[in-house]
Amino acid sequence: MTDLFFYIFAAITLACAFAVVFSRNPVNAAMFLILTFLGMASLFVMLEAYFLAVIQVLVYAGAVVVLFLFIIMLLDVKEESKAKLKPLTLVASVIGFAILLVGVVGITSSDNIKATTETLPEAAGATLKNFGYELFTTYQLPMQVTGFLLLVAMIGVIVLSKRVKTD
Amino acid sequence: MPTETLKSLGDIAATNSWGAIYPELILGCLALALLALEVILPKFAHGAIPRISILGQVLLLGYIIIFDPAGCCNGIAFGGMIELSGTSQALRIFFLLASIFVSYLAMVSFENKTLARVEYFAITLVVTGALSIMAMSNHFVMLFVALETATVGFYILVSYFRQNTLSLEAGLKYLIMGALSSAILLFGIVLLYGAASNPAMAGSSLDSMNFQNLRVFLEANPTDTLSILGMLLVISGVAFKIGAFPFQIWIPDVYQGAPVSTTAFLAVSSKAAGFAVLLTLTKVFSPLSDWLLPLLSGIAALTILFGNFAALTQRNLKRMIGLSGVSHAGFLLVGVVAVQTVPEATNWVLFYLFAYLLGSMAVFCVLAHLPKEWDADLSLDDLGDLAKKNGFLGIALAIGIGSLAGIPPLAGFIGKFLIFVAAFKAELYVLLGVGIVGVVISIYYYFGVIKAAFFEVWSFTDEDEKSDAPAVLPGQSLTALGRLAIVFAVGGSIVLGFFQGPLGSWLSGQ
Repeated sequence: MTDLFFYIFAAITLACAFAVVFSRNPVNAAMFLILTFLGMASLFVMLEAYFLAVIQVLVYAGAVVVLFLFIIMLLDVKEESKAKLKPLTLVASVIGFAILLVGVVGITSSDNIKATTETLPEAAGATLKNFGYELFTTYQLPMQVTGFLLLVAMIGVIVLSKRVKTD
Repeated sequence: MPTETLKSLGDIAATNSWGAIYPELILGCLALALLALEVILPKFAHGAIPRISILGQVLLLGYIIIFDPAGCCNGIAFGGMIELSGTSQALRIFFLLASIFVSYLAMVSFENKTLARVEYFAITLVVTGALSIMAMSNHFVMLFVALETATVGFYILVSYFRQNTLSLEAGLKYLIMGALSSAILLFGIVLLYGAASNPAMAGSSLDSMNFQNLRVFLEANPTDTLSILGMLLVISGVAFKIGAFPFQIWIPDVYQGAPVSTTAFLAVSSKAAGFAVLLTLTKVFSPLSDWLLPLLSGIAALTILFGNFAALTQRNLKRMIGLSGVSHAGFLLVGVVAVQTVPEATNWVLFYLFAYLLGSMAVFCVLAHLPKEWDADLSLDDLGDLAKKNGFLGIALAIGIGSLAGIPPLAGFIGKFLIFVAAFKAELYVLLGVGIVGVVISIYYYFGVIKAAFFEVWSFTDEDEKSDAPAVLPGQSLTALGRLAIVFAVGGSIVLGFFQGPLGSWLSGQ
């Protein structure tokens, strides 16, 4: 049963991801991106990482894509015309895809990966409570530094966009 | 949650010894204080804020050097997040010193410009703290968070002259390249985490982003494909930050467009932080040295050659210094490779970094005092007759450039010499040869700068144009503080060339 669900959600995620890349209309692409994120979230649920699934929906499907849509709206992006592919781009992407394929096949067919499926570790930080405990003990310092990161980003946005008074 | 887990988490929380990172905490608080002062102080007193920032940093630096030169609390802290050591203490002092110079450069180059000022100094302080934490990180989560804090700060500092299109262009390019390199680094970290957390493998652990645990895993599985891929990606991500070949493409444009203070910050502090991370990571990855050493050696040789050849044809001063910085990264990489077989070479790499700091800052201080509205446009022609117009700046430039070029008896020469000794001891003869060829090439463009500053420029249109507007002489904005900064950088370059005693024994005593 779980296997069946995995294949269904994986297929949805992949199909939507392809749709993001291939849709001409940027708004449609953003909408498919939401569906991709939802598919990913359901995969997380099946791995019993409920917290991650909720975050995936709230942050990515919610906030990030809404931001994308705002930018699309502000920039008034028109439907993209069919761009002509340069031969060099074509060759480069084919080579890139081939390397990716070799990598994925090589990694998934190695014995180490097969050995894992039987002995999955417990998802230690997967519940909200565990996550909170870890965040305020083990990861206390990175969390505080992240606070400064956000502060710097905020100051930066103001500095780079505020009108400077000429006096 | 079971009680044992809670108890062990409590034990970890007990190792959160905030006192161990007091310099970074003070830097953070100082940054917040500067922002608060801008609100509190009346408008006419705002000019004092940069001075307060510099004073605070000088006091902190003085305290560390006098009372805490070896580091008060060396060892692992924060549940394995950071590891304090002599090296991290030396780098802490390095970043603080660089940050003082950067603050001074910003003070000079922001004069007569309509810009928000205070924020620049606050961000500089936060970035310095983040770089310092990056140098002592012992865990990929800590490393990445500190790196991102510094990088986000740099995005802003690079595009700070937003009326100037070159600065904005530089900011955009740095943003895109920085995001790309972060993505590569993160992907590498994820692969390593995935490989080392696999319970079916020997030496796996649940906390495999911790460097010690990762090293244990790599020792048990030195041929694991996933880990090798991860290592490759992590090294590539770091190579972006230090501007090593083939990830150096962003350097000329970003260095040229950024304000001169940011260029100095990127060239000195950001590069040093990259090398600190590289020194830590090469220890972690040493079980994979069959892959790691050829990779790093190849990068080092190509970086030296590329940096020097590309700098040959540059006439824009900041582009030239940026590309020469690429070749310095190559020399430092030779040092990092040598460290793998000659452990005491770590101190020699640090010495090179200090020599590079003093030489670069002397040059950047001179650049900041040249009369030009936007320093992105500074070219060799702007140095014309510098020595005659302002002898002090001319001599400072000559000594700074000489130290960067590695002319004896200046500090840069000793730095390069130590790196070559390390390479010789580690039997890296090919790298040694490439390094020497690199030095010979670099003499050409470094002396081009000295020639431009000391010999007369001969041109046809001089007379007519001069009569229109009285030319602004270089160095008119030079204050007592500026003279002190330049004298410190130049003096340091000379003294360390003759007499490495105090710094050398302090570094090797760490």
